[in-house]
Amino acid sequence: MSNVVVLDNGGGLLKAGQGGERNPAVVIPNCLYRPLTSKKFLHPTTTLSSTTEDLTSAAIRRPIDRGYLINPDLQRDIWSHLFTSLLHVTPSSSSLLLTEALFSLPSIQRSTDELVFEDFGFNSLYVADSPSLVHLYEASRRPYGLVSEAQCSLVVDCGFSFTHAAPVFQNFTVNYGVKRIDLGGKALTNYLKELVSYRSVNVMDETFIMDDVKEKLCFVSVDVERDLQVARKRGNDNLFRCTYVLPDGVTHTKGYVKDPEAAQRHRILTDGATPSRAVETKKETDHLEVMEKSEERKRVDLTKNEFDLTNERFLVPEMIFQPADLGMNEAGLAECIVRAVNACHPCLHPVLFQSIILTGGSTLFPRFAERLEKDLRPLVPDDYQVKITTQEDPILGVWRGGSLLASSPEYESMCVTKAEYEELGSARCRRRFFH
Amino acid sequence: MDDENSNPFRRMSSRTRKVAPKMAAALASSDNRTQAALARLEALENDNAGIETIEPNDDDEASLDDDDQAYMQKRSKGTKRKTRQAKALENARKAPRTFLELLHEANLESLPAHVPSYLRAAVGPPSSTSRRHFCSVCGFTANYTCVTCGMRFCSGRCQNIHNDTRCMKFVA
Ligand SMILES: [Zn+2]
Ligand SMILES: [Zn+2]
Repeated sequence: MSNVVVLDNGGGLLKAGQGGERNPAVVIPNCLYRPLTSKKFLHPTTTLSSTTEDLTSAAIRRPIDRGYLINPDLQRDIWSHLFTSLLHVTPSSSSLLLTEALFSLPSIQRSTDELVFEDFGFNSLYVADSPSLVHLYEASRRPYGLVSEAQCSLVVDCGFSFTHAAPVFQNFTVNYGVKRIDLGGKALTNYLKELVSYRSVNVMDETFIMDDVKEKLCFVSVDVERDLQVARKRGNDNLFRCTYVLPDGVTHTKGYVKDPEAAQRHRILTDGATPSRAVETKKETDHLEVMEKSEERKRVDLTKNEFDLTNERFLVPEMIFQPADLGMNEAGLAECIVRAVNACHPCLHPVLFQSIILTGGSTLFPRFAERLEKDLRPLVPDDYQVKITTQEDPILGVWRGGSLLASSPEYESMCVTKAEYEELGSARCRRRFFH
Repeated sequence: MDDENSNPFRRMSSRTRKVAPKMAAALASSDNRTQAALARLEALENDNAGIETIEPNDDDEASLDDDDQAYMQKRSKGTKRKTRQAKALENARKAPRTFLELLHEANLESLPAHVPSYLRAAVGPPSSTSRRHFCSVCGFTANYTCVTCGMRFCSGRCQNIHNDTRCMKFVA
């Protein structure tokens, strides 16, 4: 078999490398960006969080909207740079293992196939969905574990564009069981932007910076009521207050957390613990403070180069657990999982609740799994166990599953070749990937 | 293999592009509160894409008028003209469209009920109708609702701030 390029083409990050390797050689944002200092849109060469470049108010163009490839021209541009300058592969002598969001539309599949075979000329293609690859990877890691022996799992993929709860059985995603929440990391970053812009400083154009803020400072609350109380406290009793400094373009080109140690103090709060009430808060004063901050905002909006966060730190990820609180008429993650399980055969229910696998970058918030279990337990019959596993690396898990599949002996027979595509066309070739 | 999406006569100028269903619903709704809520949710999927720079001399950047003209000429003169207009038309056909537009075109509603699809995979509304409400100004528990836009506030102070700066921000 020729060389296989494994490409997990996410809406946020693109992960690419050679099949059979443990890690992808390239992990970059799937976008073009234009810093303020540039007239042209540029290709990212690394994850933008690890560059020292000033990304203040950089514009972004993404080929993927709501998880689906809607701009093939832009994707061609990005892939061309990827294959030529970053991976150094020759498509005509390579096979491509490509991930695609579940329930893609025929028109999108057709333009994807055109890109792969007509624009790049790959000699064969296999299209995989993320849940089945994650399942494959986890099953291979523990050959005698439940996921492997029962040959099924419930994969919760909380990524950039959306969140799926997907039952997987015998390595195939059970399509009719999949449930989706229209929320992922992108919506969370935008929500955080909205809150900070309103409450302290205008960051509506700061996607990259606010991604960094979200990744460094947000966490999942296991007790929202309690944490809201803590977040109102003044001084040292407020375990959540922290400050993020925006880049000023002169002394520092990257934003940073002002006192990183203090920002981690929330970790001392464990489930059910009530923080000491040594200094009882004066609620009235708190309001005055809020008021003052807002007044101040109007005056110094553009010159201010730092902002405080308190309840935003957990109210942002809270969206995934209770979208309805924020006006989205969608069930939260726990209920989403229950609905996905209930769509499957009853004899699978107990084993699915015991084999929940978390993947996707948005599951990296501290306490994600803990909160999910807390929400899920009351919704699951008492005699069923609930067991949630977080992937070792939730961002690379899908790619690693793909790498494993690409190096398996069956891979070649699963692919559609260029000749088959030319003879049969997109729609008929695609049927081979349906299960 | 020619189907409706690759039909060169199909008009795809941005003028005729369909508005995303949620936005269409918001625009059609006379209820300010519905409009504000939908517009706000829609904004969660936005990117700061930057202002498109259109270079008037660049053939690759088809303007809307060229596009319309190309459509007319193409109809009257058949396929003979492989000109700038034809190229413009080709570009217009390929112009990126939003996922919601593509979804609308795919007409998934017509699939039989047992066929899994993007639409049927939506998780649906929560089973509980009780909601927690957070103040849109300060984030704390909010017991009041703005009668104009439906957003929440927790106190008279936050209400004033809301009225001054945030009310109907997403509709205006
Ligand atoms: Zn308030
Ligand atoms: Zn209002």
